[in-house]
Amino acid sequence: MDSALIPQGVNRCPLWKFALGIAIVGAVLMWGVYAMMLVWIKGLNQTNMNDAYGFALWIWADLSVIALGGGAFFTGFLRYVIGINDLKNIINYAVIIGFICYSSAQLILGLDVGQPLRGWFIFWHANVHSMLTEVAFCLTAYFGVLCVEYVPLLLENRQLDRVPFFHNLSHNLHEIMAVFAATGAFLSFFHQGSLGGVSGVLFARPFGFREGVFVWPWTFFLYTWSAAACGPCFTILITKITEKVTKKKLVKDNVIQILAKIAGWMLATYMVAKIIDTIYWATVTAPSKGFDLMTFYSNNPLYGIWILILELVVCGIVPAAILITPKWRGNPRGLTLAMILAVIGVCLNRWVMILQVLAIPVLPFENWALYMPSWQEIATTILPVCYGIILIMISYRYLPVFPQEKELNPIAG
Amino acid sequence: MKIDRRSFLSFIVGGAAGTALTPLPWKITDDLSIWSQNWPWTPVPPNGEVTFVNSVCRLCPGGCGITVRKVDARAVKIEGMDGYPVNDGGICPLGLSGLQLLYGPTRIPYPMKRKGNRGDGKWEKISWEKAVSEVVTKLGEIRKNNRPHGLACISESDRGTVAGLMARFMSAFGSQNFIRQPSMEDSYELALYLMHGIRAEAGFDIENAAFVLSFGSGVIEGWGSPVRMFRANSKLIKTGGKVVQIEARLSKSAAKSDKWIPINPGTETALALAMAHVIIKEGLYNKDFIENHAFGFEDWTDGQGNKQQGFKSLVTATYAPENVAEATGVEKAVIVSLARHFARASKPLAICGRGQGRTSSAIGEFLAVQALNALVGNINQEGGFHAISDNDYIDWPEIETDQIASNGLQNGRLDEAGSENYASVRYLPHRFFENIIAETGYPIQVLFAAGANPLYSLPDTKAVKAALDKVPFIVSFSSFMDETAQYSDIILPDHTYLERYEDVPTPIGLQKPIIGLTRPVVSPQLDTKHLGDVILGIAKGLGGSMAQAFPWKSYEACLEKTLGRKLDTLLDKGYWSPAVFSVPEWIKAFETASGKFEFVVSDQDGNGDRKTKPIADWYTGVESQGDPVTYPLLLIPYDSMRLVNGFVGDPPFVIKTVEDTVLKGKDVFIEINPKTAKQLGLSEGKYARLTTPKGNAKVRVHLFEGIKEGIIALPRGLGHTAYDSYIADKGVNYNELIGAVYDPVSGLDAAWGIRAKLGKA
Amino acid sequence: MKQTQGNNGNKKFGMVINLDLCTGCGSCMVACMAENNVPFKEDETDKLDSITWMRVYKLKNGKSWPNADICYLPRPCMHCGGHGDHGHSPCVSVCPAVATDYSMATGIVSQIYTRCFGCRYCMAACPYHVRYFNWWDPVWPEGMERFLNPDVSVRMRGVVEKCSFCFHRYQLAMNKAFLEGRRVLEEDEYQSACTQACPAGAITFGDLNNPEHAVHQLVQPDPKHAGRPRNPKAFRLLERLETNPKVYYVSSRKWVRQSGDNYLKKEKQKI
Ligand SMILES: Nc1nc2c(c(=O)[nH]1)N[C@H]1C(S)=C(S)[C@@H](COP(=O)(O)OP(=O)(O)OC[C@H]3O[C@@H](n4cnc5c(=O)[nH]c(N)nc54)[C@H](O)[C@@H]3O)O[C@H]1N2
Ligand SMILES: Nc1nc2c(c(=O)[nH]1)N[C@H]1C(S)=C(S)[C@@H](COP(=O)(O)OP(=O)(O)OC[C@H]3O[C@@H](n4cnc5c(=O)[nH]c(N)nc54)[C@H](O)[C@@H]3O)O[C@H]1N2
Ligand code: SF4
Ligand code: SF4
Ligand code: SF4
Ligand code: SF4
Ligand code: SF4
Repeated sequence: MDSALIPQGVNRCPLWKFALGIAIVGAVLMWGVYAMMLVWIKGLNQTNMNDAYGFALWIWADLSVIALGGGAFFTGFLRYVIGINDLKNIINYAVIIGFICYSSAQLILGLDVGQPLRGWFIFWHANVHSMLTEVAFCLTAYFGVLCVEYVPLLLENRQLDRVPFFHNLSHNLHEIMAVFAATGAFLSFFHQGSLGGVSGVLFARPFGFREGVFVWPWTFFLYTWSAAACGPCFTILITKITEKVTKKKLVKDNVIQILAKIAGWMLATYMVAKIIDTIYWATVTAPSKGFDLMTFYSNNPLYGIWILILELVVCGIVPAAILITPKWRGNPRGLTLAMILAVIGVCLNRWVMILQVLAIPVLPFENWALYMPSWQEIATTILPVCYGIILIMISYRYLPVFPQEKELNPIAG
Repeated sequence: MKIDRRSFLSFIVGGAAGTALTPLPWKITDDLSIWSQNWPWTPVPPNGEVTFVNSVCRLCPGGCGITVRKVDARAVKIEGMDGYPVNDGGICPLGLSGLQLLYGPTRIPYPMKRKGNRGDGKWEKISWEKAVSEVVTKLGEIRKNNRPHGLACISESDRGTVAGLMARFMSAFGSQNFIRQPSMEDSYELALYLMHGIRAEAGFDIENAAFVLSFGSGVIEGWGSPVRMFRANSKLIKTGGKVVQIEARLSKSAAKSDKWIPINPGTETALALAMAHVIIKEGLYNKDFIENHAFGFEDWTDGQGNKQQGFKSLVTATYAPENVAEATGVEKAVIVSLARHFARASKPLAICGRGQGRTSSAIGEFLAVQALNALVGNINQEGGFHAISDNDYIDWPEIETDQIASNGLQNGRLDEAGSENYASVRYLPHRFFENIIAETGYPIQVLFAAGANPLYSLPDTKAVKAALDKVPFIVSFSSFMDETAQYSDIILPDHTYLERYEDVPTPIGLQKPIIGLTRPVVSPQLDTKHLGDVILGIAKGLGGSMAQAFPWKSYEACLEKTLGRKLDTLLDKGYWSPAVFSVPEWIKAFETASGKFEFVVSDQDGNGDRKTKPIADWYTGVESQGDPVTYPLLLIPYDSMRLVNGFVGDPPFVIKTVEDTVLKGKDVFIEINPKTAKQLGLSEGKYARLTTPKGNAKVRVHLFEGIKEGIIALPRGLGHTAYDSYIADKGVNYNELIGAVYDPVSGLDAAWGIRAKLGKA
Repeated sequence: MKQTQGNNGNKKFGMVINLDLCTGCGSCMVACMAENNVPFKEDETDKLDSITWMRVYKLKNGKSWPNADICYLPRPCMHCGGHGDHGHSPCVSVCPAVATDYSMATGIVSQIYTRCFGCRYCMAACPYHVRYFNWWDPVWPEGMERFLNPDVSVRMRGVVEKCSFCFHRYQLAMNKAFLEGRRVLEEDEYQSACTQACPAGAITFGDLNNPEHAVHQLVQPDPKHAGRPRNPKAFRLLERLETNPKVYYVSSRKWVRQSGDNYLKKEKQKI
């Protein structure tokens, strides 16, 4: 019955199987929706956040998905602005993943603020000094761009494409996509950066604070950089997972390798910058405020120095090395390992820069504050994951997401 | 249809503009945010005319002047009254929270009669006429049966017109059983009676002292009149005065003092006497005072010609510093230097009464500390100790008792205060309840509880409850549903202090007499009645000599008559104080048999003959209860301004100030030295089972370096079971874990702690 | 464009708390709650979820018995002037919606509840844990809402609140002065509720810019160093972060003064 919607020349699983998959993920999604309604109706007391942890799991999830969604802007930038044409074979998927990440981020923000109905004050009463203002403006604008980037793909659905209006609209959008991609890259540069600025500007929180240039702390640049490095890794990782699940090859290796290589170099250079930043911060910035490096990593049951080593070495230097070494990168296991480590690395970085900043006592007579998310927070964090899976399932089933799919998976007979 | 670039762009721009121009989404967005700013369930306090009413706080014996800000009929804030001699604008956390009590859910809204079993919390609303007539009927019965002494009354205070009316009621009725809640007043009163020969209040001129030696008194923990003590302490610090705190635990007072001398609890008497030893040995005492105005310093001969030991030979023989160093835990050198500093200070002052002073203590400790004051000759001197005779403005006509009452009064007090054994003591509340349980003496048939909450605030609450179970009729006059009210048979709720008139005599510890006036700040919010009027009502109901003993139309009429022209001053200025006041000179200050200050303690009989117990019997402390093998630890209580330790519970604001190392959820923390904790296998935050000879409780562990190994401390003021959900069910009531320990010479409860053990829970 | 809080007629209200006098009694906490309609719950023992604009901390000297010492430290909002006193307090500069702002005229950091949308960025920015979020709807037991003060609006759930230096008292005093034809307030006309209540007289409040005012005399703020105290016994919390607080503390105990800031191990050894 839905076969009329499925792109021509490709194989899809039977409808019942698809429906069953949607139902299972949908059930988890509904759990998340239930938790979301609780939070909206009863308020943020449904969370385990507190006055020490004003930012917690959600903001971490937010920053993480935005970093991971960075594959969209960076791949778009490489494809449309730099003109690496091969990437057209993965750009659709990068955009979908980006769209999911950014829409999830918005949803989470809508949950996270105490007065969602006044959320628009951030635009109306904007404070130009605030990194969050910058985030809000750029993020919203960039989400608009992502929508525009997603629409032509939607319109390529077999049935929609039949409508001449949609067909033409899609065609026109394609033509000007470079403009949007450039705009998107510009906006992303700022909002990824200002997200980095969120903790970097906290001059009274020595763990997060970084010096910088003009109004931007170094974390501004580091965030953009790490998103450009790890976003594509996430795109590749999801592509690989999709291939595993569909048991099909969907993107040719050379495409993956180009993207992986670029990501690798981004990651390698990012690590150089990040290590310099860390050393300067540990030896100059923090001590000037009375903090030995180890005070940030002791007297508490969770945050040990292991976390810094994990972030910088295991999830930074190691994946960067794999990715810039053609032999290791070419090995499928090496590639997968590097992708996973890079993704963990960037998420860990966001965790540390949000939660550890708050956990560390700044007043000498206060103690570390530790926190455990409530089930409502966990459910609402899983919610966007489920929503993402469903959107991918639908998009994959009904849209020509992977231009190389037909070629790589010819239908027999 | 072909779409060219132009129509495509028009579509985009037009669409966006079109949506933006539709007012609907913007209007809704704006309306929603406005709605979120005016949620109907978030109250908006109404505005109105602002006025201020001056009154006096009655929430503790402190007697602070307050100024209440009102908006129309609502009282919105209590502040300290500027210029009031006690507190001059300052105010404590409890005083600030008064409106939470006034308007809170813990009030008793109308007269109520018990339904179901006692303590079940089932009540029936009754009218005031019915409530009064029920009490009148019960009282009429016991008078008819010639057992008026079966009526007893326990009250927070025995001073002022309200307590005065209550006491008068008891006398006219024919019962001596008027009982005051215990406090350090008991011990100070007795010490002054024995040493100065007068019934007077202790006054401390801390403001002008130069060296305050505190034997565990929580000068900044609510001892005496709290706010006044705070101010005095600040003045002392600013003028360079020194404070030495002798205390087992690093209390706030200890931490703020210039020197903290940790002592083994219960050995304060010995330390004071050892100091006296040094002062006498080194000849540092005030020769004029000792030689001309003191008696019993040297050995003497009594009326029967027996040689009696004097103070000097007592302390020189027994209390050399090296003899007490081990027991007290204070090194010899420290004792010597402390004694010298104290004696050489320009204006030294020694004070005692542990913590907030809300318990009585061994009389020996008070005598020894007062002896130090005498040695340095600071009695009735600037910066010293003042004995303030209560200004006797209450001058009511003699009661003409009828036959029944006269017979009843023959029976004496059930608590044996004033009896041969405990001749000079006025109240022995713990003994009262013990005698009820033991069925010694005669049965108590009706108990009045007025401003007192014995079921919470007397030691060994289980025993108090057992005693109450033997009293067939308990009448509570409480404004709040406290533990005793909840366990009573009928409640005739009083107005709160913010709804009534009342005179407030000199607050405890003040060095000059004043009278304050509590007055209605708001009209009565509920169907309550002034306790004074209720007493008058009951007396009228009983008729005869009872009615005659209360000739006033109303409490207000009584107050007006009693205060006379002072009332004008009170209404005008908020307080009254004598135009000139000075404490008497030494020559006129003492009314003992010798007319001098007496070191030797000797109860006098009517003829002025001395019935002497050897001096060594008087100057002693008491041991704590429990055997050290079963109970290797010592449990002591501590007081805090952030907890309420009187007849009201901790209002929400007050409990909010309590640290999370004192109370967390429903659990109270026990303070323990980390080394002791380690030996017991306990660590910070762990649950533990605390057991004493009197009871046991589940507590959590808080490691504190400010407490000696082997000692553990629990805060007072928690563990209420009554009131409302904001007050009840938090922590443990210290009084459940402790029992009274009799001071053998005075009969006062002298418990300062109890032996205990702590195990993993 | 840069403004500073020099002596150009601007006030710079501040507070000096004498820790030698402070008894840790908590009156300041309660006075603040009563004055400012601070809500409360049945259980307030989770201090990470308990709104106390003024909070009294217990400091310890870290030594063991009998050398242990403790000191109490009341902590309102510091009304930080930020680097160089330019008004870029940690919290103000991050609020995306200008729901909290710095007043150059008074030096007071405001908080506008109806503007705040509860993002809590300001809480992350403030190192003093001065800012509290309304996790719950404020609920008063039936009847108790009668004591609410109409001079201060009650906050709804989902917004941040903090010590305002009792700004409404400033407004009331200014109104009164204006009606009497005056433009300048006397020192005692504007005093915070906590200052007024403190039974130990430990808190002093006034205009740090005014040499006549006690606060100025007590700490002798150094205008060259954004108000750093010249009184050697005075200190500010986390001075090294350059938040530039307007709340000063005075203590004669060295360990207490040192508890106000962070020091490297090697610095500590030198002190
Ligand atoms: N007596 C007198 N009346 C006047 C005027 C006058 O000068 N004197 N001026 C008139 C004029 S021009 C105006 S605009 C209006 C203003 O009238 P209102 O808007 O009523 O202004 P205010 O009384 O200044 O403040 C309103 C409330 O804000 C509270 N508030 C103070 N700081 C903060 C904060 O940081 N956040 C939040 N949420 N609340 C805060 C105050 O305590 C007060 O309850 O008054 C008019 N009426
Ligand atoms: N610190 C502080 N500053 C504030 C505020 C606050 O609450 N606190 N509120 C702010 C607000 S909301 C406002 S509206 C402004 C108000 O600030 P301003 O507009 O400065 O208001 P006023 O102080 O009332 O002063 C107006 C002047 O007009 C004069 N005037 C009165 N009647 C007349 C007339 O008929 N003709 C002429 N020519 N002059 C007249 C008065 O004498 C006075 O000098 O202040 C703002 N500034
Ligand atoms: S000290 Fe006592 S009298 Fe004074 S305000 Fe506090 S409770 Fe009231
Ligand atoms: S009210 Fe005064 S003495 Fe009490 S804690 Fe506050 S500052 Fe200290
Ligand atoms: S103390 Fe915190 S809330 Fe207050 S001004 Fe400073 S940063 Fe802002
Ligand atoms: S929580 Fe409110 S005051 Fe704080 S930054 Fe966000 S909008 Fe501003
Ligand atoms: S200044 Fe006012 S708002 Fe700030 S802590 Fe003191 S009483 Fe509270």
